[in-house]
Amino acid sequence: MDRKKSYKGWEEKASKELHDKSLEDHFWETPEGIKVKPLYTEEDLEKINHEIGLPGLPPYTRGPRATMYTNRPWTIRQYAGFSTAEESNKFYKEGLKNGVMGLSVAFDLATHRGYDSDHPRVLADVGNAGVAIDSIEDMNLLFDGIPLDQMSVSMTMNGAVIPVLASFIASGEEQGCPREKLTGTIQNDILKEFMVRNTFIFPPKPSMRIVADIIEYTSKKMPRFNSISISGYHMQEAGANQVQELAYTLADGKEYIKSALERGLNIDEFAPRLSFFWSIGMNFFMEIAKMRAARYMWSKIVKEFKPKNDRSLALRTHCQTSGVSLVEQDAYNNIVRTTIEAMAAVMGGTQSLHTNSFDEALALPTKFSARIARNTQLIISEETGICNVIDPLAGSYYVESLTSSIVEESQKLINEIDEVGGMVKAIEIGIPKMRIEESSAKRQARVDSNEETIVGVNKYKPTEKQEINILSIDNEEVRKRQISRLHELKKTRNSKNVESFIEKIKNAASSNGNLLEICIEASKNRCTVGEMTLAMESVFGRHNLSTKTISGVYKNTVKNDGKIDIIDNELSKFLNKKGRRPRMLVVKMGQDGHDRGAKLIATAFSDLGFDVDIGPLFQTPEEAAKQAIENDAHVIGVSTLAAGHKTLVPLLMESLKNNEASYIKVICGGVIPPDDYPFLYDLGVSKVFGPGTNIQEAAIEIINLL
Amino acid sequence: MKLKSYLKLFKISNIDFSKKIGISNVSLSRYITGERLPEKSILNKIFKLTEGLVDANDFFLSNSPSHDLSEIHKEEIKKMIFNIREGKLKDLAKAITLVESSLKLHNAQADLLLSKLKHNKKSLRIGITGVPGVGKSTFIETFGMSLIDLGYKVAVLAIDPSSKRTGGSILGDKTRMMKLSVNKNAFIRPSPSQGNLGGVAKRTSESIRCLEEAGFNIIFVETMGVGQAETTVYDMVDIFLVLLLPSGGDELQGIKKGIIEMADVIIINKADGNLKNTAEITMSEYKNAQNMISNIRVDISPEVFLCSSTESTGIKKIWNFIKKFEKVRRDSGSFYKTRVQQQTKAIWRNISLQSQDHIEYKLKSKDSIKKIIKDVEKNNFDVNNASRIIFDSIFKSNS
Repeated sequence: MDRKKSYKGWEEKASKELHDKSLEDHFWETPEGIKVKPLYTEEDLEKINHEIGLPGLPPYTRGPRATMYTNRPWTIRQYAGFSTAEESNKFYKEGLKNGVMGLSVAFDLATHRGYDSDHPRVLADVGNAGVAIDSIEDMNLLFDGIPLDQMSVSMTMNGAVIPVLASFIASGEEQGCPREKLTGTIQNDILKEFMVRNTFIFPPKPSMRIVADIIEYTSKKMPRFNSISISGYHMQEAGANQVQELAYTLADGKEYIKSALERGLNIDEFAPRLSFFWSIGMNFFMEIAKMRAARYMWSKIVKEFKPKNDRSLALRTHCQTSGVSLVEQDAYNNIVRTTIEAMAAVMGGTQSLHTNSFDEALALPTKFSARIARNTQLIISEETGICNVIDPLAGSYYVESLTSSIVEESQKLINEIDEVGGMVKAIEIGIPKMRIEESSAKRQARVDSNEETIVGVNKYKPTEKQEINILSIDNEEVRKRQISRLHELKKTRNSKNVESFIEKIKNAASSNGNLLEICIEASKNRCTVGEMTLAMESVFGRHNLSTKTISGVYKNTVKNDGKIDIIDNELSKFLNKKGRRPRMLVVKMGQDGHDRGAKLIATAFSDLGFDVDIGPLFQTPEEAAKQAIENDAHVIGVSTLAAGHKTLVPLLMESLKNNEASYIKVICGGVIPPDDYPFLYDLGVSKVFGPGTNIQEAAIEIINLL
Repeated sequence: MKLKSYLKLFKISNIDFSKKIGISNVSLSRYITGERLPEKSILNKIFKLTEGLVDANDFFLSNSPSHDLSEIHKEEIKKMIFNIREGKLKDLAKAITLVESSLKLHNAQADLLLSKLKHNKKSLRIGITGVPGVGKSTFIETFGMSLIDLGYKVAVLAIDPSSKRTGGSILGDKTRMMKLSVNKNAFIRPSPSQGNLGGVAKRTSESIRCLEEAGFNIIFVETMGVGQAETTVYDMVDIFLVLLLPSGGDELQGIKKGIIEMADVIIINKADGNLKNTAEITMSEYKNAQNMISNIRVDISPEVFLCSSTESTGIKKIWNFIKKFEKVRRDSGSFYKTRVQQQTKAIWRNISLQSQDHIEYKLKSKDSIKKIIKDVEKNNFDVNNASRIIFDSIFKSNS
């Protein structure tokens, strides 16, 4: 009674302070559709529908371990994308000297897609976004002088997961570390590849079988190794909101459990080795609540499969600060963003963390930016005292209410997936992809119409451009080196052995043999990643993605502040002059499958009144030119994220010229270091757009360009 | 039309014509060159003799400039035709753009271009329709690639719906035709529908002729099976394929019954994996129903096939039937006869299209017409009289 009275008292006081505005106006509806009140009280805590419990005990809402950071802080694990094994090896050794406790390997795009460096489709992809691994020889260089029995290694690999993991295991054994002593994680999360990242090789069915092969093998032979890292990260990067990220990731996890059980494994054999991977963005409390909700929900999900061991119920996770929250404009601000996100990850109870470097919206990190990123974690861990208390936000009226709302909203999405028969089915229908793209288009519309603030981008813009030193990679040089190493390998190895292993892999693929087991031996016998992949491909086929797009979402969300009228006016002028609407071909060339940007551009521009053609993923420049010519596009929009532009754009320009089609204009957008702008303009590129570009302003510029 | 053009079109000599009107050959020449204007009685005679094709306006008003192309523009077209025959895709693509353009100049250029093209009797024009998600593009990808292996040159015209609200569109067909789109013996052109079905029909049938000139001998025309575009597409192809999903009847398919009745080939697509059984049931349902559907083609009955574009099954059977269909109809002469009838239909379709455009963009914007309509709205004028006056005015305007 007293409590209610005092709450009423607050309401009155607050209403007075607000003058004529009502309290309701101060409710905030988050992008997830959760209504956040301006004040939470004791009463809200009584309404929550999840169990808070204690750390280290089911349902693990407060953390998977009883002592959490009070005993040992999270693992600082920095993902590195250097292009060669030697350079990465140097970076690892440097990191180990400076407080890094685990290694994280980023592979180049050619490796992800199972192509050796000498394959004609990967001209621009070798050494881009990570290290090129063609064989066990590259793995040996990568881990030279790093004791694998002491160092945990995390590998971001999904497509070519079998040959890469096999080479790693084989390399460890050649180094003298038996497989049962290897620790670390392989991402091995193929479902989200079909949903957002597109770095798959085989169709969904054989891909799921491969996941099960790995879970089976590691659970029996590699007890210290995490067989899978079920990732929401790339969903949030692709534009998913936090509820979507959580729900679809847990639904993926459920699907993996089912396929491992179908393989005849016991839930307790593998569930404790399943791990998760979240993206941590700028919505501070939401991210913390998401991580807590995730642990609670996962324990409930696993419980359905009747485990005997409580450890099967505990969700362990890696986190990375959000790459998509980084912007090109006023780039030093990214240090601050990353710090806030890292705080959220820590408050949410992560087991390991990668902090992004501030220049990652422009290029790969430099030594300097990598050091700041690393230090961000060390400062939180050692200067703030945060580690001294477990789950410090538990019991907060707001955080617990938010946790509860997220549980509720995510459950709805999971139910939707269950209703269509699980995640594989849902992916075939395209449900999660469509939802995520909608959410991504909405966000862009909110940013474009200044409803969501990004400092330095749509508010408080800097008046001067700062110079930032960035790392640039000579991709051609890397490719040459890889190819010569491949030639050397093929000259010295026993080719009869290689052939017999290729046959064995094919046989295993068409029967029920464990592919990982055979490929470990194949790696030792110097079969390359490309050869092992091709052997499997001859049985499974290579998967092609049919691109689906959404329309109307951007236009429905964006607020018309006059720019839309300008665009309409410019468009009708264009139509009267040229006899048709501006036609733009949006292409992604090379092996980079991140198509969030390309799809966003496609849907937003068509909503604004352009005719937009989309190219298939993984196009070569010649193919893109052919499509632009046939469709008679006015302009080609090249979406690039993985530094492929330096090789691919020149080839595209050349291909247009060879076909007498230089009248087609070319623009570029995405992660392009400002230092490369002059290079692109010299080639004849008409305009370069960086991350954080306002789409409506870009549309006006493009119409004027034509 | 100008008297000179009339005489040329109907192959009447100046002397014969002057005799018929009762004037000297010299006078007629002066009328034709515009040196002199004919008197009222002569105008009347010319009007009657030409059934109104040549009227007073043709002597008093100069023609709108859009019908006359400058030498530069004509030269462009000549070069374009040459390059199209040489197989240059760039020029073929540009020609289709001219055909699709809403500019008067482009239309005149397109008319000139089309008038120079040969009538290709060997090509096969295949219409394909089906609801979104039925797998049209994937079917064309598999089918098209198998035809290229047989030595054909394959073109695809895909009509994508434009958004009515914004007018923009997303054209993603090629993402589902990855192999075909990069093959040098294939040409794929997705086109926005621009919300105008009649316009789609005109543009598409003209684009077909450009493709044939470039040597493409199999032309696919792909439309969504949800609107009315199909009936118009039906009138520009030699054979009409309808793709269905392996489930239930027409209502469940979301496809209009009228469209199924037009089908020469019904294909139950996606007959793979655990849908195989359902597909077979669907096939037998349609086979039975097919007997009841009145047959449009007299010489060959439609057939139903199972197909899996992903497993590449059924394609060969379908192609064999299409070959048979083509042979039967070529042998009986109905193949070419249908094309001739389609041309006649195209004339009337173009005319009604132009009339509609004329009403929309010319008539409705005239102040006098606006006033008449205002009067009708105020009940100062009755509907029938108003309609007649407006209708008559169409024939008096020559621009």
